[in-house]
Amino acid sequence: MAGNKGRGRAAYTFNIEAVGFSKGEKLPDGVLKPPPLFPDTDYKPVPLKTGESEDYMLALKQELRETMKRKPYFIEKVEEKPDIERYSKKYIQVYKEEWIPDWRRFPREVMPRKKCRKADPKSKSTKGTDRVSSLLNAADVLKKIEELEKRGDGEKSDEENEEKEGSKENKEGDNDSDDANAEQEDYDEEEEQEEENDYINSYFEDGDDFGADSDDNMDEATY
Amino acid sequence: MTQQHHWIRYVQVKKALCVLIQHNLVLYQVHKRGVVEYEAQCNRVLRMLRYPRYIYTTKALYGDTGELIVEELLLNGKMTMSAVVKKVADRLTETVEDGKTMDYAEVSNTFVQLADTRFVQRCPMVHIPENSDTGPSPPAPSLVINEKDMYLVPKLSLIGKGKRRRSSDEDAAGEPKAKRPKRPMDSKEPIPDDGIYWQANLDRFHQHFRDQAIVSAVANRMDQTSSEIMRAMLRMSEVTTSSDAPFTQPLSSNEIFRSLPVGYNISKQVLDQYLTLLADDPLEFVGKSGDSGGGMYIINFCKALASLAIATLESVIQERFGSRCARIFRLVLQKKHLEQKQVEDFAMIPAKEAKDMLYKMLSENFISLQEIPKTPDHAPSRTFYLYTVNVLSAVRMLLHRCYKSVSNLIERRQFETKENKRLLEKSQRVEAIIASVQATGAEEAQLQEIEEMITAPERQQLETLKRNVNKLDASEIQVDETIFLLESYIESTTKRQ
Repeated sequence: MAGNKGRGRAAYTFNIEAVGFSKGEKLPDGVLKPPPLFPDTDYKPVPLKTGESEDYMLALKQELRETMKRKPYFIEKVEEKPDIERYSKKYIQVYKEEWIPDWRRFPREVMPRKKCRKADPKSKSTKGTDRVSSLLNAADVLKKIEELEKRGDGEKSDEENEEKEGSKENKEGDNDSDDANAEQEDYDEEEEQEEENDYINSYFEDGDDFGADSDDNMDEATY
Repeated sequence: MTQQHHWIRYVQVKKALCVLIQHNLVLYQVHKRGVVEYEAQCNRVLRMLRYPRYIYTTKALYGDTGELIVEELLLNGKMTMSAVVKKVADRLTETVEDGKTMDYAEVSNTFVQLADTRFVQRCPMVHIPENSDTGPSPPAPSLVINEKDMYLVPKLSLIGKGKRRRSSDEDAAGEPKAKRPKRPMDSKEPIPDDGIYWQANLDRFHQHFRDQAIVSAVANRMDQTSSEIMRAMLRMSEVTTSSDAPFTQPLSSNEIFRSLPVGYNISKQVLDQYLTLLADDPLEFVGKSGDSGGGMYIINFCKALASLAIATLESVIQERFGSRCARIFRLVLQKKHLEQKQVEDFAMIPAKEAKDMLYKMLSENFISLQEIPKTPDHAPSRTFYLYTVNVLSAVRMLLHRCYKSVSNLIERRQFETKENKRLLEKSQRVEAIIASVQATGAEEAQLQEIEEMITAPERQQLETLKRNVNKLDASEIQVDETIFLLESYIESTTKRQ
């Protein structure tokens, strides 16, 4: 501190000349705020290339974008169920191709799993989740659903029947599990309408919703 | 509420994974304890920007048939050859006049050509180990492919013709229609090449783009003839040199002479002169590696890509900061390290201006400062400060900016589309109405009435929107060209033999 040239006076430890300006020269003002978002540029950008190939690629790009939206790979957002079911909605459907993946090439866990219809939706036992191997054949799936229809309670089998025919059914009941089931039905239905057997009839799964559908049993272990 | 969302999302996640895996955007691997791990292929995702270029290139090389083959492969991720041939034949049949159809054989031939020249390749296949019966099946299949099988086309006898769609099955505008009956599944017939999937070979396209860039650079810098010679040399090296080699195998002048295109009538001496000119050029695209066979020449890809990347840097500086700044940049690049004073002297630019320009470039990281201390204590008064260009880091910085640009372009385009959503939907509905009215035979007056549903200011708005969206899309495509050059250079520096 005492070794300074003078208290409070700025002293550079190196030769200013080296960096390019001399002492006392007017330096640009200090910056007080962030630079503007769209600063004026001295030089305007060069215009875009034009030509046959550029035009063709542009048209291609826009076409690809539109085509992709109509492909089965484009997974639509699941909308919240509207307050009123609109009759017209049934008829404004854009036709989408079906896609059934070659399941041999995919990990098992991403495959659709059969929904284990439980007689009592509230009591969730530890999942005896059926494995997927039997589902690879659509015919098997249909058979299984028929079996479940016989096994499950009447209301649910009705719902399943209706679902298979692809018509909308009314939401019934207002307790949570029914809501959850109805939600499932709706979801599958939207799925069916959207993707027409994209993931085989019953693409829904039960096993891994730990605690997800038993909000009554708060003492269950959750992750 | 949250429960429902959680449940829905899980199913969506599985579906999304399927889609991503199908399109080669996500890879999976089985780890110990049977856990399947998924990895996002970020670079591959970014290649989606380049799809139009891949498809257009194929059109230029293999016509409409080739174009549609590559387009289908890109749109669907992977397909069997039989599926591609059928789909492309159907699509081509749509475009030809009534009564004519596209034969499967013709499409097959083009497919084989694409496989032979490696623009399409086989996907890894499901591998079933010998002892598969013992123990539980693995949670995910392992996929492998043999190097020599990658371009092997299965022996298929695909016989058939493309089918024209009977009526207007698909309405692009989404006009209200009754729900369609499901199409009968064609997969009742056995698929001859079941399990053998094909995908587009992006690396091969990149090699082609690189060659294109080199040829056009030579054409710009020298003349048409030199670029043709260059093109001939590159074509000769296509099969002998791997795509990421730093330079080609040596080519003799005699060989090059023989492989010049048939129409090109230049004498051997003229060719030799051109080759010497190319080899002596400071850009060092071509090097002379020996004297046998009339002179042995190689193409130096590392140097070529570096030159292209540097040219891009220079061009950016010139367009952003002006040509005097570009001159300073080239100077520092050439001399490697320069002091402030030296820059002023060599560039013959007054000190104040030179300082200003150097600091501008410094602040944007095109140029960096190198400290060379004279004394071990690194005292600033006894240290040299030299300006230098670190090409690799400047290129990386520019690449980063390119990606930011693309992201801004996409954001803006989505914003513009969203702002005008209502108007766009209205316009689509009107178009659909016009189309259906026309199909049932309409008079001019009717059509006019319908068209007037869109007012003049609305039309204006739509035109402006279209113009803007086109500009943004075209910009995306062109920024991707720069991205390709910069990334090719960066890649070439990381692979050293």
